[in-house]
Amino acid sequence: MVLVLALGDLHIPHRAPDLPAKFKSMLVPGKIQHVICTGNLCIKEVHDYLKTLCPDLHITRGEYDDDARYPDTKTLTIGQFKLGICHGHQVIPWGDLDSLAMLQRQLDVDILVTGHSHQFTAYKHEAGVVINPGSATGAFSSITYDVNPSFVLMDIDGLRVVVYVYELIDGEVKVDKIDFKKTTN
Amino acid sequence: MPETTSSRGGSHCYVELRGVQWRLGLGILPSSPSPSIDDLRRVTANYRRRYAALRKQLLVDPHVPKDGSNSPGVVMDNPLSQNPDSMWGRFFRNAELEKMVDQDLTRLYPETGSYFQTTGCQAMLRRILLLWCLSHPEYGYRQGMHELLAPLLYVLHVDVERLSEVEKSHKDHFADKFDGFTYHENGDSTYKLDFKKFDGSDSDKSSAKANNLTELDPVTQTIVLLSDPYGAESELGIVLSKKFMEHDAYSMFDALMSGAHGVVSMAEFFSPSPYGSSLTGFSPVIEASSAMYHLLSVVDSPLHTHLVELGVEPQYFSLRWLRVLFGREFSLEDLLLLWDEIFACDNTKCKKVEAEESSNCGVLDSPRGAFISAFAVSMILKLRASLLATGNATSCLQKLVNFPNDVNLEKLVAKAKSLQALAAEVNSLNSIMLVHNEVKPASARGHSLSLDSSSYPRTLLNVVPESYWEEKWRVLHNEEEHKQGVGKEEVPKIRKGWSERVKLRLSRTETDPPPLMKTVSIKLPEEPSSVIRSLFGSDENKENSVCDEVVEQQGSVEVADKKFGSGEIPLNFSDPPSPIHGLENSSVASNSSVDENEAESCGTHREGCPPVGVSAVSNGPPSEYDIQNDESTGKSVAGVKERSFSGKFLWLRKFEQNGVEGATCEGCDNSCESSKGETVDQNTMVSLRNLGEAMLENIQVIESVFETGSPENGKVTAMSALNELRKISNLLSQM
Repeated sequence: MVLVLALGDLHIPHRAPDLPAKFKSMLVPGKIQHVICTGNLCIKEVHDYLKTLCPDLHITRGEYDDDARYPDTKTLTIGQFKLGICHGHQVIPWGDLDSLAMLQRQLDVDILVTGHSHQFTAYKHEAGVVINPGSATGAFSSITYDVNPSFVLMDIDGLRVVVYVYELIDGEVKVDKIDFKKTTN
Repeated sequence: MPETTSSRGGSHCYVELRGVQWRLGLGILPSSPSPSIDDLRRVTANYRRRYAALRKQLLVDPHVPKDGSNSPGVVMDNPLSQNPDSMWGRFFRNAELEKMVDQDLTRLYPETGSYFQTTGCQAMLRRILLLWCLSHPEYGYRQGMHELLAPLLYVLHVDVERLSEVEKSHKDHFADKFDGFTYHENGDSTYKLDFKKFDGSDSDKSSAKANNLTELDPVTQTIVLLSDPYGAESELGIVLSKKFMEHDAYSMFDALMSGAHGVVSMAEFFSPSPYGSSLTGFSPVIEASSAMYHLLSVVDSPLHTHLVELGVEPQYFSLRWLRVLFGREFSLEDLLLLWDEIFACDNTKCKKVEAEESSNCGVLDSPRGAFISAFAVSMILKLRASLLATGNATSCLQKLVNFPNDVNLEKLVAKAKSLQALAAEVNSLNSIMLVHNEVKPASARGHSLSLDSSSYPRTLLNVVPESYWEEKWRVLHNEEEHKQGVGKEEVPKIRKGWSERVKLRLSRTETDPPPLMKTVSIKLPEEPSSVIRSLFGSDENKENSVCDEVVEQQGSVEVADKKFGSGEIPLNFSDPPSPIHGLENSSVASNSSVDENEAESCGTHREGCPPVGVSAVSNGPPSEYDIQNDESTGKSVAGVKERSFSGKFLWLRKFEQNGVEGATCEGCDNSCESSKGETVDQNTMVSLRNLGEAMLENIQVIESVFETGSPENGKVTAMSALNELRKISNLLSQM
C-alpha cells in the first residue's frame, strides 16, 4: 500500500503562477510515500514545496528547469515494481509510444513516467506501462491545445498498481482509476 | 506459575488459571450462581463471536470494493479524497491511530526475551487496541491503555502454556483418535477396537494413565473439560485456547475499560470529561485522586497535611498509578498478584444508606474502587518516613513517582485490605467537599500573606485558573445546602453572595473532622462583662465569618505555634467536644488559623496596631478553656484564642477606638474601608475578603442577637450590624 505521486511540467513561474487551489488542498503531507516529478518545475521553490509533501522526491531534468543538476533519467524500485522517470523532450518524436517503449526497455522498468506533452496518457504494452501525468498546472504547451491540469497518484500494492488520475476539468476535479497488474516473469 | 488464593466460592478449580480467574472477576465469565463448565464455554464463545464480527467490520481494506459494486464513483473514494467517510479516509485515520499505538508498543516491556516484544504478541496487541479505540471513538487511544492490555494477554498466554503442559502429561485425554486409523489386516483376530494398539504415542512413563476423567485432580480435570473440543460450543468454546487468545484478550480489555456494568471503569480515568453524575465537574482521575487523598487524611492525617502543605497534589503521582492500575510501579509478577486481588473484589456499586447519589466519589464507588484507593494509600504510607522528612514538593513527588521496586507486595496488599472497609465508608461521605478541601488548601497558604516561611512553594497556585475555584465554590455550596443542617444555612448563603467576586476562594472544612483529630470547641464563658462580651462577641463573629477559609486544622495549629511561640499553647486539644455542630467544630478549626490570617492581613493593612484591649482579653483567658454547652451564645471560639491574641488585638483595637458595641461593626467596616484605601497595591480580593468577613460578622451578630433573645445591647448591635451590611453592599455594588 504505497502511494506514489507523479506530476510534472508545472512551469512555475514562467507559464503558471501556482498549482490549482483544488489540487493544493488535496495534496497534504503524510499520505504520500514517494513523489516523482518528470521535470520543468522550474524553480527551487517548487522543489521545496514538493519536498514538504514527502521527503522522498525524485526529479528528472526538463528543458526549462533552473537546476541543472537533475539527471536526465532516473530509476527506482517501489515494492515489486521498477519505475523509470524521464522528462521526454529527449525522446523524439515527442510522445511517440514506440520510442518511449524503447526507452523503457533501455531502462528496464515496468512503469515509465514521462512528461513534456502536457497531456495525460497511460499506455499499456507488453513490456509495461507508460504513464504521462500531464501538466499539474495546466501550463501552455506548444504541442497540445486545451491543457487541463492533471496529475497521477499510483497505489502500488504487491503485484497490482492502481492508477488514479486527477484532472481539473471546468473547475471540477475529476478522478479516474486504472488497474494494472504485473505479470511475474 | 505462582498460585493465587481465591476467596471466591465455587471457583476453586480455577485457582491456578489466572486467565479464567480474571475473566470471572472482570465479569466476562458468569460468576454467580456457580456456573457449569458448559455455561462458561458458551459465554466465552459468544464473546469471541462478537470480536470476530467487530474485526470484520472495522478493519478496513480500501482495495476491497464495498457491496461488490464498483465504488460509488472514484471521485469519492480515491486516496486523496477529502471526504471523511470514504474508505480511504477511514484507512488513513486507522493508519494514524496505528502509528500512535505502535509508538507505545515498541516501548512495552522492552527487555530482551520479553514475551511482549515478540511479533505475534505485538500484532495482537496492536489489533486489539486499534479495534477498541475504533469502537470507542470518544476515548481514542491514550498512552497507558497498552499497559493495561499487556498483562491480560500475558495471563492468557500463561494459561495456554499451562494447558499445553497438561496436554503433554495427559495425552490420552486430549488425543483425538479419529485420524489415521489404518485398517489392520492381520490374521489374528485381534479386537479392532483395541485402542491401545492404535495409540501411536509413546507410553507416558511419567504420569499414570488415568483412563477415567474423574481420576484426575480437579484442576487438571477442569482444564481438560474447559478445553475439550467436543464440549459445548465445540472449538469456539474451548476456554483456554491459543487460537482465540486475541478474542479473549479483547473481551477482557473491554470489560476492564468499560467496567462491565460495575463502577470502576478504567476508561473513565482516561477521559478528561467529568464522570456521569459527578457534581464537581472534574475529570474522574482528579476525583479519584482526591478521594484517595481524603482516605489518606482519615488514616494518617499528619502525612496528609504535610503533603498538602507542600502543595503535592494527588493527581501528580496518582494519575499514573490509577491509569495503569499500578502497572508501572511493580514488576510483572508482582503486578499479577496485585491484579488478582483487585479483580477478586466485587465491582458493583456500593449501596448507601440514603440514596444520595450526589454525595460520593462516583468513580471509585465499589469494593474494587475502595481497594484501589486503599492500595494507593498504603503505597503512600510505605514512603511515610521519607516523605515526612523532605521539605519540598519536588523531592516528595520524586519519591512518590519513583516508587521503590523491592517492596514486599503482600504487606502492601494486606494493609490495603485492612483499609478497604474504611475506604468504602469514606467514599460515601461527603467526599466531594473534601475534593475541594484537598485541592484547595495549598492556595490557603498563598493567601495567608505573612504566614510562615517561604518553604512552602506557592508556585503551584498559579496554575489554577480563577473560575476553577469559583465553580468549586458554587458546587460546594450547593452540596452544603443539602447536607448540612439548618444552622449553617445562613452562613453559606452569605458566602455565596460575595464569593463570586472573590477569586481563589477556598472552601471550608465543614465536614466531619477526621477522627484522629480532636477538636475542641471552646465557648465563651457566660459572664464576662457585657462590654467585653460584646467585644468578643463581634470578634468571634468575625472569626466565625471567616470559616470559609480553609486551612488544615493541624496545619494552622502548627503554623500558629511557630508564629507566636508562646509555649503554653496547647497543641492538642484533648477535651472531647460537647454536643456541637459540625459547623462549630470546623469553624473552630478554621477560626484558629484564620485568626492568624486575619491578624496578618490586618497587620499589613494597618501599621502600628497597638495591642489594645489586653485587659479585656485577659479577663477572659481562664474561662476560655472551659468547655461549656453554650446554646445561648451559640458561638464557638477556638481554643487557640490565646494564640490569636495578637490577631484579636488588632481587631479589638479598632473596637476600643471606635467605642463599644455597635461601634464594633463600624470599626470593622472602617477598617475594611481603610484597608482598601491604604493597600492599593494589595490584592483587591484581600479587601473584598475583609468586606465579606465584615458582612458575615454582622450577620453573625444578628444571629446571636436573636439567639440570645435580644437583650438591649443586642438590639442595638443588630441594628448597627444591619446598617453595616447595607453600607457594605453599597460598597460592593459600586465596585
